[in-house]
Amino acid sequence: MKAESFEKIVNHALADRQLQVALDRGTTRGVNARLLAMSETTDAQALRHQARLARERALNQLPELLEQLERNIVANGGHVLWARDAAELNQHVLTICRQHNVRRVVKGKSMVTEETALNHALEQEGIDVVESDLGEYIIQLAGETPSHIVFPMLHKTKEATAQLLHDKLGMPLTDQPEAMTRFVRGVMRQKYLQADLGISGVNFAIAETGTIATVENEGNNRLSISAPPVHVAVMGLEKVIATWEDYAVLVQLLARSATGQRMTVYNNLISGPRRPDEPDGPEAFYLIILDNGRSRILASEYAESLACIRCGACLNACPVYQNIGGHAYGWVYPGPIGSIVTPLLRGPLTAPKLPYASSLCGACQAACPVEINIPDMLLKLRRDLVQAGDPSLGWRLGMKGWAVAFKSPMLYRLGGRIAGWLTRVLGRGKGHLRWLPPPFNGWTAHRDFPAFGTPSFRERYLRRANGQSQFKRR
Amino acid sequence: MSAREDILTGLRAALAHGKPFPGAEPAAAQAVTRIDPGEDLVARFIAEVQRVKGEVHTAANDDEALDITKDLLTSHHVRRVVMWDEAHLPLRGVWALLERLGIERVYGDNTSVAAAEAGITGADWALAATGTLVLSSGPGRPRMASLLPPLHIALLTEDRLIPRLEDYLAAQRVTHFGVFRRSSNVTLITGSSRTSDIEMHPVFGVHGPLALHVVLIRNLNGRI
Repeated sequence: MKAESFEKIVNHALADRQLQVALDRGTTRGVNARLLAMSETTDAQALRHQARLARERALNQLPELLEQLERNIVANGGHVLWARDAAELNQHVLTICRQHNVRRVVKGKSMVTEETALNHALEQEGIDVVESDLGEYIIQLAGETPSHIVFPMLHKTKEATAQLLHDKLGMPLTDQPEAMTRFVRGVMRQKYLQADLGISGVNFAIAETGTIATVENEGNNRLSISAPPVHVAVMGLEKVIATWEDYAVLVQLLARSATGQRMTVYNNLISGPRRPDEPDGPEAFYLIILDNGRSRILASEYAESLACIRCGACLNACPVYQNIGGHAYGWVYPGPIGSIVTPLLRGPLTAPKLPYASSLCGACQAACPVEINIPDMLLKLRRDLVQAGDPSLGWRLGMKGWAVAFKSPMLYRLGGRIAGWLTRVLGRGKGHLRWLPPPFNGWTAHRDFPAFGTPSFRERYLRRANGQSQFKRR
Repeated sequence: MSAREDILTGLRAALAHGKPFPGAEPAAAQAVTRIDPGEDLVARFIAEVQRVKGEVHTAANDDEALDITKDLLTSHHVRRVVMWDEAHLPLRGVWALLERLGIERVYGDNTSVAAAEAGITGADWALAATGTLVLSSGPGRPRMASLLPPLHIALLTEDRLIPRLEDYLAAQRVTHFGVFRRSSNVTLITGSSRTSDIEMHPVFGVHGPLALHVVLIRNLNGRI
């Protein structure tokens, strides 16, 4: 992602009326649903802390847990493959496809396969891949990428969706999501039954029994991993957890945080392939464990980012995401957590604007079910960028000047007085400025700048401190 | 080095200088739950299933349960069903009922099962707090019965009701999680399939069953 392209995409996004309507409708519902679902637990904060500890314990013992997971999956008749990077994961899937003569693949939702661009790799080999999640399917039809971790087509209005289904598949036009959903159900039925192989992601992998858990509502995931004769599950190595007790806490918090449900409709617990005496289910099961930079993150001060359970709550809560949508973030993982994960997985200089795409208001941290300190990591990433020499000379000089002024009470007071006087003069008593001179004109390009008030904060604080208010200094 | 060794070596090196979360407290011996189902499990279960667009039909005894099942099958114009073997259902006489109604029982591969208009299953357990059914796959217990047909009928006796997911898993720990060795697929089902992909607007009936009906048999007829 080029530095200027982020600003360009953001400007497009802000001017896109359809996108703004879709974001407004979607994120508002998401935030409200989560708040309602969390408020009905007996102690939401204690629940979050339990979840956080479950993730911390897992990250503390990742190698042991992954080995235990592998042992138990093999004991259940499954295969475990390891992939250092995206290309190796895709190669594993292609090899499995060749072994089983696979022509048609049906896929449940998986962010890891977006990370490795697996669909593209399969299509290059002439294998037909169909996304089975409703939103992912519509996006695949449109030739787009997901813009949200949980609601991939959050950027699309129902009107645009109906038009797409009409144009591509001849659906009669409707504004009813029910009618669109029923239409896609009919299209997808045959695809499940004809597929030679099903691919799914993994929400949690429970080491103590070698079970992978997927969380979904539509039934597409369960169909994709039950109907075809081969099931391939792919996971980032951070998805492993130790025990079923940890699963119980995490899965219920995931549902409440992601969609505001008490439980999602289907929680699929898969322990290897169909047993010899079972009447259905896939005959072969593969789990592919992907690193792709995660072990490097574990060694860094950003290990906390690996605790993420991909619920998407921080996206809905973020005032920046609410306005620019997921595509502006430029890669697979959008929103506040994406602004951390993207530079960590791809290198800081590939996405130098993302750590700054935040007002550090803390709404993401407050929404996070595993208490990830997202604002703190964004600040550290900004520091890394400065140390890597990213900012311009003007920026560095400005920051130097700022630091000098902030260290001297006299300079700070003087600067404040001058700035206050200047904004009042430029604002001509109206209380706000339509225009600021460079280098501050970036602010007034999109909004007014409020003139500094009188008395200043500093003056008011001094008055209070001197006993002119009920807030006395001790 | 193989990818496996490479990755595990990398992880061990990352942890060599100390754990990333040295303050992580050990897990409590028993999961502390934060979800309270209340006293009346039956009432809570019924309310929860209704909330997620399923229906619970209570039957005072086996005969009533068979009548309810019959009404569901006829009102949905069911000609073919995919079902669990009767040995795995908590209700005798379902097979005979189907014969009386002239309903065909389909088995085998996906294509023949896909023609079924209804699936009939039992359930290992039901979780009152969330209105969840726990189904494990096994001999005579096809996954597809609760997945492919548009109508899913689950037969359940009251003694299978437990408060929460945590209680189900605690019971499995006692038996060393044997269910996950025996069953390739344990599924927790909470309501009819749904999506919120279009503008986060909830729509019921997507790829899984369009309708879920639970027949809850209250009188246990001395079975426990």
